[in-house]
Formats: sequence, C-alpha cells, structure tokens
Amino acid sequence: MKRNIPLAICLGMGILMMVQFFVPHPISVGFYDLTTKWVRIVSAFAVVLGVGSFVMYHSEKLRRRRAGWLYSIVALVAAAVSTVVGLAWGVKQTGPLQSYIFTPLLVPLNSSMFAILAFYMASAAYRAFRARTRESALLLVAAFVVMIGMVPIGAHVPFFWFLVVMAVALLVAGFVTRSKALLIGTGALVVGLLVWPAFWKFKVPRLMLPDTAEWVLSVPNMAAKRAITFGVALGGIATALKVILGIERGWLGGGKQ
Amino acid sequence: MKFFQYLLKIDRRIIYIIMGVLVMLPLIRPLGLGVTSGPRAARLFHAVDSIPAGKTLLISVDFDPASMPELYPMLTALMRHAFAKDMKVLLCGLWPTGAGLAIKAATDIPPEYGKKYGEDVVYLGYKPGVDAVILGMGENIKNVYPNDYSGRPLDSLPMMRDVQRLRDIPMVVALSAGDPGYSDWLRYAQSRYGMKVGAGLTAVSAADAYPFLQSGQLTGLLAGMKGAAEYEILVQKNGYSKAYMPAVAAMDSQSLAHVVIMILVIIGNIAYFATRKRRS
Repeated sequence: MKRNIPLAICLGMGILMMVQFFVPHPISVGFYDLTTKWVRIVSAFAVVLGVGSFVMYHSEKLRRRRAGWLYSIVALVAAAVSTVVGLAWGVKQTGPLQSYIFTPLLVPLNSSMFAILAFYMASAAYRAFRARTRESALLLVAAFVVMIGMVPIGAHVPFFWFLVVMAVALLVAGFVTRSKALLIGTGALVVGLLVWPAFWKFKVPRLMLPDTAEWVLSVPNMAAKRAITFGVALGGIATALKVILGIERGWLGGGKQ
Repeated sequence: MKFFQYLLKIDRRIIYIIMGVLVMLPLIRPLGLGVTSGPRAARLFHAVDSIPAGKTLLISVDFDPASMPELYPMLTALMRHAFAKDMKVLLCGLWPTGAGLAIKAATDIPPEYGKKYGEDVVYLGYKPGVDAVILGMGENIKNVYPNDYSGRPLDSLPMMRDVQRLRDIPMVVALSAGDPGYSDWLRYAQSRYGMKVGAGLTAVSAADAYPFLQSGQLTGLLAGMKGAAEYEILVQKNGYSKAYMPAVAAMDSQSLAHVVIMILVIIGNIAYFATRKRRS
C-alpha cells in the first residue's frame, strides 16, 4: 500500500501532464495552473529539507571531530549570522546584510576564488597540456585557434599567419627534439602554406583567426554538443517513462510494501 | 638538455608572477587592441532594440560575484540599452548570491537615465525552486513574488500594473554562470510561453549554448567577457551610453593572458619532447 499509492499517483499524473501539454483547452490550462501551484508548495518543503540536511551534516561532523571540522564551524556560524541579520534588518541595499556581509565579504572572497583559476590554469596547461597523441595534438591546435580567435588580438591575425607561426613552432620543436614525426608534420604544413595563395580567390585562404575560431565552435563543437544533448534528452525521456510506468522505483526510497 | 629539464620543473610561482604581471599591465596601460562586435551579440542587441518603448525587458541575474567580471558588465550594458530606449526593466534571479549584484545594478544604473525604482525598474529578488518559479511567473508573477526584494507589495509599484505574467513581457535575457540558468528559461519560458530568450554566459559555458542559438531557440548570445565587451561597444556605437566600459577595458588583459598560456603550452611541449627521447 505504502508503495502502490505513490506509484498509482505517479502513473496518473505522468499521463495527465503528458496529455495536458498538447491540449490547449481551458480545462487543461486550468489544470496546469493548479499543478504549478502544487509544485511551488512542494518546492518550499525542499528548502526546509536543504537547511535541515546542511545543519545536520555539519553538526555531526563537528560532534565526531571529522577531518575539516573547523570549516563546519565557519559554515554554521556564517549561515546563522546571515539568517539572523537578514531576518532582523531585512535585505535592503543599505542594510547590514548588504553593507557588512555581501559587499565587503562575499564579493571579494568569491571573486578571488574564481580569479586564482587563471593562475592555476596557466600552470596546469604548462605542465599537462601535451601533444602526446594525434588526437591531443589536434585538440591543442583547436584550443590555440579558439583561445586567440576569441580575444581582440586574434582579430589582427590572419589564419594563414597563425599557421606560419605553428609551422615555425613545429620546425623548432622538430629540430630541438630531433623528432622525425614533427619534421614530417612541419614539411606537410609548409607545403600546404606554399599552395595556399593559389586558392586566394576562394574565401577560406583569406580567413582571419576569429572566423576560424567561429567555425571550430559552430561546426565541430556544435555537432558534438548536439549529439550529447540528443543523447541526454533521449535518456531523460526513457528515465521519465520508466518512473511513470513504475519500472524505476528508486525515488520511492527504502521501506516495506 | 639540462635547460629543458629545468623548464619542465619550473617553479609554478614563476608562472604565477608572469601571468599576474601580464594581466595587470594592460589594466594600467591599455594596449588599445580594440573590440569588434560579432554576429551573436549583434543578434541579441537587435532583438532588445526592437522591443517597443514602454514594454518590459526581463533580466534574470543568475550568477554570483565569482562571475561578476564577465556577467555584470552584460547586466549594466543591457540595462543602459533598455533605459535609453525607454523600456522598463524587471530583474529577478535564480541564484541567491546574485541578489546583491542585482540590487547594485538596480540602484546604480537607473539614475543615469533619470529612471526611478518602481516606475521603470523593479527587482523581484531570489526565489528557490527554479521550475516552480518560472512556471508560476507564467501563470501570475504576483503569485510567486507578492512583494519585491525589499518587501514592497508589487501592487504598489506602478510598473507592475501592466506586467501580470510572462506573456506580458516580450523578452527575457538570462545572465547565467551555470545551473540554474538560461536552459531553464528556454525549457519553460520559451517552450511554454513562447517568450524570446537571450543569454549572457561565462566563456566556459558558452559552447553548450551554440546548438540552441542555431536552432533559433536562443535569440542571441553573449559569450564571456568578449560578449560583454561586444555589447558595450554596440550600446555605445548606437549612442545609448557614454559610460565607462569595464569589459572592453579588460579585453587587453584577456588577450595577453591567452597569448601567455599559448606560449607556455608550446614551451612545455618542446621541453617535454626534448626530454622524452632522453628518458626513453
């Protein structure tokens, strides 16, 4: 009974909501408005659950002195102070929540956390971004094209000259490392660059770097993203159907029938 | 060979210093590389520009201070554009930490155009429950937000008399740093209520939005600080604002940062391949 009633409600509501989406009749629209009210009420309970779960998790960590318990004190105190200040003085622009907590504390702390990413990324890219395989080499070149093409400096660089710089870098790398593969790659690139002017009357040879970056984003990137989106959507529909039809019952939680 | 080994083991603090100096230099002494507007920003600009005077532009402030350098200039540029065209601006948010930023914008920008809170701009605040909030706004905004952010009843604000539900608003621009964000506005406001949806996203999440732009579900897209700078340029070029353009000013730094990372990656690869042969 404990499981069958929720399953029946889920099946009925699931089918009703699916049908409702395609029926613009006033009764159908009224039903939809009613259910959005229910959604809001149910969502409000989620906030209570969220706060409760947050307090319980950190209290437990504090009680058992688990690793990082000092941070739990910070989390609980910060939550309590924000709540008390917000409830007591409100949320006005001139109030203490804004003047003493948000603007002088949260904004610089949050911004600093994100800003230091640039430094980590530079260091990580230097240490880990290697052209070990053909695929990673391709990724590296695509990354360069997008990185430079998407900033103002890229607007001053024709794609042709970008390839020339790449050829020089490959050549230097080939000589320094005495790698045959790199030298062969350089040779192929140089041949490509030599025949480049022959196709000048076509659009491609005259492309600037931002055009190329745009192509990378709009064609290969979009194809991959679209495939992922379709996959995720189909997965979502399949899961929703399994939930509605009672095949997937994980959401019911544990317990007896 | 020792030199390459040294390069591979270079102290990360040296990289940090190089990066820091090259990011700061253009902020002190701009290089003036210039920014040109791209097609995606232009699409959003024209969509906003075509909203008739007196109508409302909804801007969803779905970001926190971490994404402020990229997304806050978009918010200010959009508000300046709307006010210059005599539109009204309704702000709301799906991120609790975006509230302070929305209040700042709602306080700082309207006076530049002689606009007043309640008549030309209203900030609804943050409400939890993303889908419930958007669906509820589609039904009746006052059911979800009976009061504005500072507790004033919406019925007492003149601007809200003509804005009852999402269908009364021609367009929403979601400035999103992640989830929840533009995708929720697309899912509910665009598909359910047929609203035009534009997006301003952090550079790192912009690639995800391209399919929606090509399908026409997104009306326009501002991608990262470059997108913000493009919109600032468009607003200024069309004579809607003469204000300082923070995103444009930061683009030189971003250019140099990207070039530095590219050079570091090239050097790192040369050093790696040079020492790999020896190792093998």
